Amino acid sequence: MSEVFEGYERQYCELSSNLSRQCTAVSTLDGEQKKQKLSDIKAGLDDADTLIRKMDLEARSLQPSMKATLLAKLREYKTDLNNLKTEVKRVTSANVSFAVRDELLESGSADTLALSNDQKGRLLMSTERLNQSTDRIKDSRKTMLETEELGVSILQDLHQQRQSLLHAHKTLHGVDDNISKSKKILSAMSRRINRNKWIISSILTAMVLAIIIILYFKLTR
Amino acid sequence: MGDHLARAQDFENRAEKKLSGWGLFGSKFEDAADLFDKSANSFKLAKSWDKAGSTYIKLASCHLKLESKHEAAQAYVDAAHCYKKTNINEAVSCLDNAVNTFCEIGRLSMAARYLKEIADLYESEQNVEQAVVYFEKAADFYENEEVNTSANQCKQKVAQYSAQLEQYQRSIEIYEEIARQSLNNNLLKYGVKGHLLNAGICQLCKGDVIAITNALERYQDLDPTFSGTREYRLLADIAAAIDEEDVGKFTEVIKEFDSMTPLDSWKTTLLLRVKEKLKAKELEEDDLT
Repeated sequence: MSEVFEGYERQYCELSSNLSRQCTAVSTLDGEQKKQKLSDIKAGLDDADTLIRKMDLEARSLQPSMKATLLAKLREYKTDLNNLKTEVKRVTSANVSFAVRDELLESGSADTLALSNDQKGRLLMSTERLNQSTDRIKDSRKTMLETEELGVSILQDLHQQRQSLLHAHKTLHGVDDNISKSKKILSAMSRRINRNKWIISSILTAMVLAIIIILYFKLTR
Repeated sequence: MGDHLARAQDFENRAEKKLSGWGLFGSKFEDAADLFDKSANSFKLAKSWDKAGSTYIKLASCHLKLESKHEAAQAYVDAAHCYKKTNINEAVSCLDNAVNTFCEIGRLSMAARYLKEIADLYESEQNVEQAVVYFEKAADFYENEEVNTSANQCKQKVAQYSAQLEQYQRSIEIYEEIARQSLNNNLLKYGVKGHLLNAGICQLCKGDVIAITNALERYQDLDPTFSGTREYRLLADIAAAIDEEDVGKFTEVIKEFDSMTPLDSWKTTLLLRVKEKLKAKELEEDDLT
C-alpha cells in the first residue's frame, strides 16, 4: 500500500523542485513571458495540491504505525507547498504594484515615517521590558544562591544533631547496661541481708534456748 | 535584692564557720559544701557575680577535699559562668581548672566542650593567638572522642584565624582535609565547594601561581563537580589575573562574584591582601622598566 504513497511522494518532490526553479526564473523575466510562466506555475501548484490530497487519503487508509510517520511527512510537504504559493503570490504582487509603487511612495512617505517612529517606540519598550526581566532573573538567581547557602548550613546543623543523637543513643545503652548490673548487685545484697538476718536470729534463739536450759538445770538441782 | 544579698552572706558565714570548726561524724565538708552552694545561688540572684564566682570556687575546693572530682569540676564551670559577666581572665582560669579536673576523671568530651568555650571567650576578646591555641586543643579532644562535626567546626575556626595571622599553609591543609572528609557524607557534600573556595583563597594569598594551578587541578580531582561551580571560575579567573598582573581584571572578576553572593569579611580581607600584593608587583614591574 505504501508503494502507492511512495509513488505520489516522488511525483510531488519532482513537481516542487520544478516549481521552485520556475519561481526563481520568473522573477528575472518580464511582461508576457512572465505572465505565461506564472500561469504554468499556477497549474503546477494545482497539481501539487491534488497530489497532496491523494497522499493524505493514502496515509489515512494505512495502519496507524505507518500513519504517524507518513502524516508527519505530509505536513512537511504541505508547508513546503504553502511556501511556494506565498512565493508565487509575492512575485505576482511585486509584478502588479511595481509600476504604481513610485506614486505610492511619494504620498506614503509621511505615512511610513510615522510608522517607523511608532516602531521605534515599540522597540524601545520591548528592550526596556527585556532589561527589566533580566534584572528580575538576576535577583532571583541571587535569592536562589542565598537559599542554597542557607540550605548548606542547615545540612551542617542537621549533621551535628545527628551525631549528638547517635552519641546520646550509645550513652543510653551504656546506662541501660549499668542499671541492669546494679539491679543484680542490689538483689544480691538484699539476699545476703536476709540470709544474715536469719542466721543471727537463729543464733539468738539458740543462745536463748541454751540460757533457758542451763537456768532450768541449775534451778532443778 | 538586698534580701538575697543578706541571705547569701549569712550562708557563707555559716559555711566558713563549719569549715573552721569541728564537725560531728566528719560530715563538716558536706554541710559546708551545701551551704556554699546555697550562698552562691543567692549571690547569683542578687546579681553580684564576683562574689558568686568566688563562692563557687570555695565550693569546688570543698568538693575536691571530699574527693568528688565531678562535683568540683561542675562548681568550677559555674564559677566561670559567673565570672564571664565581669572578669574574663578569671573565667578563663576557672575553666582551665575545670578542664583539667574533667581530664582527670576521664570525661574528655566535656573537657573538649569547655576548651571550646575558652576559645570562644578569647575570640570575643579579640585575642586571636590564644583563641587559635585553644581551638586547636578542643579540636584534638573532639577527634579523640570521634565527635567529628564539632572537631571540624573548631578546625574551621583555627583555619580562619590562622589565615588572618598569615599562617596560610596551615589553613590550606585544614580546609583541604575538611573538604575531603565532607565528600563522603551525603549531608555535608554541598558544603565542599565552600571549603575548597576558602582553601583556594589561602593559596592565592601565598602568592605562588604554579601552586595555585596545581591546587585547582587537585580540587578538580577531589570533586568532579567543582569545575562547574562559580567558585572554581572565580579562582581560575583570579589566577589568570595574577598571571597577567592586571589589577582591573582582578577587581572586575571579584565585583561580578560579589554581585551574586556577597563576600563575607574574612574573604574580603584576604582578597584585599592579594590585591595589594598584585598592585605592589605591578608597581615593581613599572619601576624596573
